[in-house]
Amino acid sequence: MDAVEKANAERQRRWAKDQKIGEGTYAVVYRGREVATGRKVAIKKIKVGQFKDGLDMSAIREVKYLRELKHQNVIELLDVFSSKMNLNLVLEFLDTDLELVIKDRSLVFLPADIKSWMAMTFRGLEFCHRNFILHRDLKPNNLLIAADGQLKLADFGLARDFADPGYKMTCQVITRWYRPAELLFGSRYYSTAVDIWSVGCIFAELMLRTPYLPGESDMDQLKTIFRALGTPTEEEWPGHTKLPDYVPVGQFPKTPLRDLFTAASADCLNLLSKCLIYEPRRRISAKEALNHPYFFALPYPTHPSKLPKPAPKRSSLLPLEELDGNAEPNSSGPGVKANPPNKLKRKHSEDGMNERSKSIARRLDFSQ
Amino acid sequence: MSNRANGWLRGTIVRKSGVSTASSTRTSTPQIQSTSTTVFGGGVKDASGRTSEYFSMEDQCPVCKSDRYLNPKLRLLVSACYHKMCESCIDRLFTLGPAPCPICGKILRKLAFTPQTFEDLGVEKEVAVRRRIAKEFNKRREDFPDLHAYNDYLEEVEDITFNLINDIDVAETEARIVQYRQENAALIELNIQREEQYAQYLKEQEDFERQEREQRAAELRRAEEEEREEREKGRREIIDKLETSDKDAIKLVARSRLEAMRRASARSTSSGNVLQSSSRLLRSRAAQSTVVPDVPHVPLQDNWYAYEDMFTLRDNYDDPASEAVRRDREGIMRAGGYRVEQAWERALRCAVAGLEIMPLEGLHSTASDPAAVPGAGGDVVMASA
Repeated sequence: MDAVEKANAERQRRWAKDQKIGEGTYAVVYRGREVATGRKVAIKKIKVGQFKDGLDMSAIREVKYLRELKHQNVIELLDVFSSKMNLNLVLEFLDTDLELVIKDRSLVFLPADIKSWMAMTFRGLEFCHRNFILHRDLKPNNLLIAADGQLKLADFGLARDFADPGYKMTCQVITRWYRPAELLFGSRYYSTAVDIWSVGCIFAELMLRTPYLPGESDMDQLKTIFRALGTPTEEEWPGHTKLPDYVPVGQFPKTPLRDLFTAASADCLNLLSKCLIYEPRRRISAKEALNHPYFFALPYPTHPSKLPKPAPKRSSLLPLEELDGNAEPNSSGPGVKANPPNKLKRKHSEDGMNERSKSIARRLDFSQ
Repeated sequence: MSNRANGWLRGTIVRKSGVSTASSTRTSTPQIQSTSTTVFGGGVKDASGRTSEYFSMEDQCPVCKSDRYLNPKLRLLVSACYHKMCESCIDRLFTLGPAPCPICGKILRKLAFTPQTFEDLGVEKEVAVRRRIAKEFNKRREDFPDLHAYNDYLEEVEDITFNLINDIDVAETEARIVQYRQENAALIELNIQREEQYAQYLKEQEDFERQEREQRAAELRRAEEEEREEREKGRREIIDKLETSDKDAIKLVARSRLEAMRRASARSTSSGNVLQSSSRLLRSRAAQSTVVPDVPHVPLQDNWYAYEDMFTLRDNYDDPASEAVRRDREGIMRAGGYRVEQAWERALRCAVAGLEIMPLEGLHSTASDPAAVPGAGGDVVMASA
């Protein structure tokens, strides 16, 4: 046994694996604990060997970025070790995620609760952005919630660092409903603003309790965005017609946000509108957002420990499925989550939600 | 006590106390005579959910003019247009379906008559209107960004209420209510739920207190019982000992007294402990659920940007690598939001971050406590990829 193997064995001994709690295309998630302290953790076992090209891209990304990020509002990667042919990531154990919270109709959100979640999201995102990391897959089920109510950004399977000048990035990222127009138009040079758009969609979803821009395909997504926010003009977004995949989708008038968000305060709508500006350079940054008057106005953001949470009965099972980057039991073969563009990204969680969600507006019929 | 002629009311009204004719003939002052639980709406309920019906000796039906003197069983009900009439008139006029009110001509239905609670029908109406308004206009102080907005809202509610009570611009006011309802449907629902939650919480609290009281009473009873038994036993023991032993009688009595006292004091301290701990538990739980204060927003909770002055970002650099991006004839990088300035900033930050850290000191403290690294604050700057 050489030194590396010895070190690995030592690390492996620190963690005990318990039962399996979820499985995705490239990983199996187990509940586990730290042997010395008994602290609950989630262990994500990456399946190696199934792929000819070696490790799955998202596993590499997740390790690469989470290893470096340590913040109250970002999920913590505690350890990495290998066992036989597999790679194991030891992650912080988190109770639930924001999607389950939004879907739980028995919970009532106060304006102050939404403010608190938004502040924590922006704080986590600001930390990523200041370290020049784009998350590129923000959506409610990637915002996990700890037992003490703290919200944490998770699933860095699509993250990357800010590209050097002239290097292209892929535009097939971010779950469709949260994807900004510049990515839908195929821009290969983009910035941290793409994450802000996603946060804007999540912000709206928290108020509406249903996805704000649920497009059925990439084309339909553009139409949905323009129908909600109006078609951008050349002054509003200079140069967008030159983007690689630009197609005219029709002219839609602007409707004031106030029409849809009737109960929101003026500050709140102001911040929302700044997150949903078409021109990425004018879109608010995470740091500016944190200094927006919305967060300082009364009511104060709810203390995290008092935020609404689903009843704990099922929470032990579902959220960890979410933890797993590619937990999409129905999809076949490897691939980055946002890559197959015609697939409904929420499928797996909807299947899990059974009868209860049938009455919820978000359950749309995509069969035709 | 219910009237046989008014069978249609009988099923829905439970008289709690009958009308005593003997006492009501003696006095002619208005008084609340009967308390009934009604199933249909109307009437003002007291805390226990019962309606106290207004009742006086001067009652006279304005329609048929029969009065309490001739008909002691007279019962007046109030119509939706706030006119009184007796049960037999209602029966006569409205059994065959909706018909106009004999006083004002408004179309009325038999089931829409409600018992009278107040002597003044104006008050009756006001209470009904206010109750209706309060059901939907249920916003709270915390739903508003500032006190001014809340006051404006309260004023508007009062305005609407006043209009409805005094029949001013009724159509326009109703339209305002409908508009408000549409705009605030979610919030209204939420506030109703909050109200229910609060009521539920109060009920739980009450139940808990009652249980605790009962428990305490049972404890006390048991303790008393025990004490009595013990006293009995002690006395028997003394007698036994006095019979069998040949020691000094006074000494024996004194010793057994001492023992009894010690036992009693032990008992009282243990029961005291039980009571105290359960009440403390209750208090701490209540404190936990309600008294974690919300704190004002703090944008960033570290000192990252305190090191902003370590470098200045210039407008332009001689940077051949980014030449193509800066020229960007097509404007595609601009439209996608890419900024070369961000790349420059990253390069500069990577260059200056950690400049203040002494190499050995840095190595040492990261091993033990990463937060102790000055300037880094536990944050790690990405190395260039």
